[in-house]
Amino acid sequence: MKTILYWLLQVAAALLLAPLPIGAIRKVKALVQKRKGAPLLQLYRDLLKLLRKSAVVSDATSWVLRAAPFVVFATSLFAAAMMPATVRVLPDAFPGDLILFFFVLALGRFFLVLSGMDAGSSFGGMGSAREAMISALVEPAMLVGLFAVGLFAKTTSIPGVLSAMTALGFPLLQPSLLLVFLAFVLVLLAETSRIPVDDPATHLELTMVHEAMVLEDSGRHLALLEYGAALKQYALLALLADVFLPYDPFAAVPGVPGVLLALVAFAVKLLFLSLLVGAVEAATVKLRFFSVPNLAAIAFILSFLGVLQFLIPGR
Amino acid sequence: MKEIRRSVAPDDLPDVATRLVREQGLSLAALFAIDERSANGRYLLRYVFTDRAAGSLLTLELPVAHDPGTFPSIAATVHAAALYEREIQDLFGLSPVAHPDARRLVHHGNWPDGEFPLRRDFPLGRKPPRAALEQPFRRVEGEGVFEIAVGPVHAGIIEPGHFRFSVAGEPVVNLEARLYYVHRGIEKLCEGETPERVLFFSERISGDETFANSLAYCEAAERIAGIEVPARARYGRVLFAELERLTSHLGDLAGICLDTAYGFGAFQFRMMRGWAYLMADELCGMRFLRSVDRIGGLRRDFAAGKADSLHGQIARIRAELGDTSALIHANNLFIDRVETTGVLSAEAAADLNVTGPGGRASGVRYDVRRDFPYAAYGELGVRVSEHNNGDVNCRMNVKIDECLASLDLMDQALDAMPDGPVLAAVGPLPPHRGAFGLVESPRGENLHWLETDADGNVARYKVRTPSFCAWPALCLAVQGNVVPDFPLINKSFNLSYAGNDL
Repeated sequence: MKTILYWLLQVAAALLLAPLPIGAIRKVKALVQKRKGAPLLQLYRDLLKLLRKSAVVSDATSWVLRAAPFVVFATSLFAAAMMPATVRVLPDAFPGDLILFFFVLALGRFFLVLSGMDAGSSFGGMGSAREAMISALVEPAMLVGLFAVGLFAKTTSIPGVLSAMTALGFPLLQPSLLLVFLAFVLVLLAETSRIPVDDPATHLELTMVHEAMVLEDSGRHLALLEYGAALKQYALLALLADVFLPYDPFAAVPGVPGVLLALVAFAVKLLFLSLLVGAVEAATVKLRFFSVPNLAAIAFILSFLGVLQFLIPGR
Repeated sequence: MKEIRRSVAPDDLPDVATRLVREQGLSLAALFAIDERSANGRYLLRYVFTDRAAGSLLTLELPVAHDPGTFPSIAATVHAAALYEREIQDLFGLSPVAHPDARRLVHHGNWPDGEFPLRRDFPLGRKPPRAALEQPFRRVEGEGVFEIAVGPVHAGIIEPGHFRFSVAGEPVVNLEARLYYVHRGIEKLCEGETPERVLFFSERISGDETFANSLAYCEAAERIAGIEVPARARYGRVLFAELERLTSHLGDLAGICLDTAYGFGAFQFRMMRGWAYLMADELCGMRFLRSVDRIGGLRRDFAAGKADSLHGQIARIRAELGDTSALIHANNLFIDRVETTGVLSAEAAADLNVTGPGGRASGVRYDVRRDFPYAAYGELGVRVSEHNNGDVNCRMNVKIDECLASLDLMDQALDAMPDGPVLAAVGPLPPHRGAFGLVESPRGENLHWLETDADGNVARYKVRTPSFCAWPALCLAVQGNVVPDFPLINKSFNLSYAGNDL
């Protein structure tokens, strides 16, 4: 019973909160640019609009193009649900694992890359090739960073990691975890197609990465892909919030009010991380495409130093 | 502006033209034909060279008989001639002999052979049958070389044009632009029209060069009529021309920032562009500066009583532009993006007669306002921006420099503008006369040729906007860059499609 309740809560939190960070990032950028910008909840409206529309699918495509939106959405939702919005109602037998989390997301991306190539248009192919290159580049940084976190917690199971981090109090004071946090922020930017790796706002097909792969999708297929992208971003932000900002200011409040307050605290953490991403986006420009490996290398080195920092002085 | 016209024999032409360009340092600014068969049974080709140092034009006139309808190509040594010769081949049916690449240019594969719209016996409104001819692109062959086809319809609200990239991975090996999707037949439509009506055509050649085109047209018509434009109108024309340059450059700068995802810079420049449009609106009630020019001066005394308000708005833009320029130059990531991107060599710029900001960023020290002064520029002193590296960064800096220079010129023009009439009386144009209008549009050297018929109406109106010369330069500058940098390089030139294809 507790397990079912937990998963229901997790899925509901993910579905409800996922579009929020994107709205916050857009708002921050708009304000920096002296614009009013779109309303904070605009993405919710866009998704509702798209979900009501039927999809137009080219008859030159295979089942991959039709299946990809569902696979992307399902994998992203699974990964997002795996990251606890609150640890208050954690079930006893919780199956989540950081390695599983990572490769569930990779499965979604695999289908996204395939669907980009499916229609045979040059833009989709270019987007897929670039996405595959970028993901191969940032994967080592992500994995090594997860190992550093795992070394601290002596496990890669998500509840184990969370309880270890909560026990630390403020993990960012640990040099090794601070390095991994910085690496993860870079990975987050690359994985969620933000500036400086990709420009989510561009209309120029020749420069697109993520947007080029979804050019052939429309209507509810597009809604699922956009929702999937939002859920993926939510999952990664939740990872950062859970691992590096585990502080719960309402730990003393018991029962249902405590759970609700903890959820509010979680949403605030998401918004704080979104502000960070928005600030980075506003201050930087898109890198030259062949400078992206440098960014990935920096992320990898930060993660690797995090591991060394843990191993060499000990704890 | 001094002007020399000489006849030349077909056999001498290649040597003479090559010597003029290679030894005398002249530039081929235009090459166009006129169908004079009804008067004297032949076509006439005009090769227009600019002598920038002396501030004079030299025109070589080459008569070409209808049969066999061939003329010697000079494209092998005078590279700027290549496109003009192909254009004449498509529109007049005259063939350049020994042209290195004599494929179609203006006509696409759906236009049948043997139909030449600018011949006088081709009736206006004739619709030739649809053809399905092959229209090959230049092929790059080799392992791992792919073609990317982009356009003619694009994602943004821009003009149509097809770009064929040959790429090896991300780097571009070759780019060919197929344009001419917006042919409106303006040169044909103007034949036989009254000079007053042709002014309206000139204003509609290219949306963002309205004033530059109408000014070049008026300069040509006034030269034929032999009238002096009143001083107040000459200063007023400087004001409008610089305002158009300012709005155009601010838009380009916003585009450069936007294509690198530098939203802050983009919206700063867009805001200033809005302010500049407000000035245009205050001056003439029209942001696109149509119906401002008139043969003989300006339609109205637009600047009367607005000097103080305009000075204030100019100061506001100057201050904001200075701050923004300092901020974007302090952003290392942004500068890294634009430096060494899309280099146009000085040699290519000179060979192709690339003028305007694109040329001045590549070491071309040429500005029509300084070297062939018109309107009131001779009395004002024009600051010409000088950059040498030919990359996106240099083109951006040239445009920033020119925005500041334009603001200064507008201030000066407002201060120096004498009182008096703004329009000189113009009668009918004298028959069988021809003259050039040469002005600096926001994109560079803008050359118009106007020729009258027996009634004083227009016999031939040829427009060569700077975009015509610069499109091949864009294709060169893209070579060796990665595909995602193309939009940025394209935006740094920001050429006109409509101005290229009348």
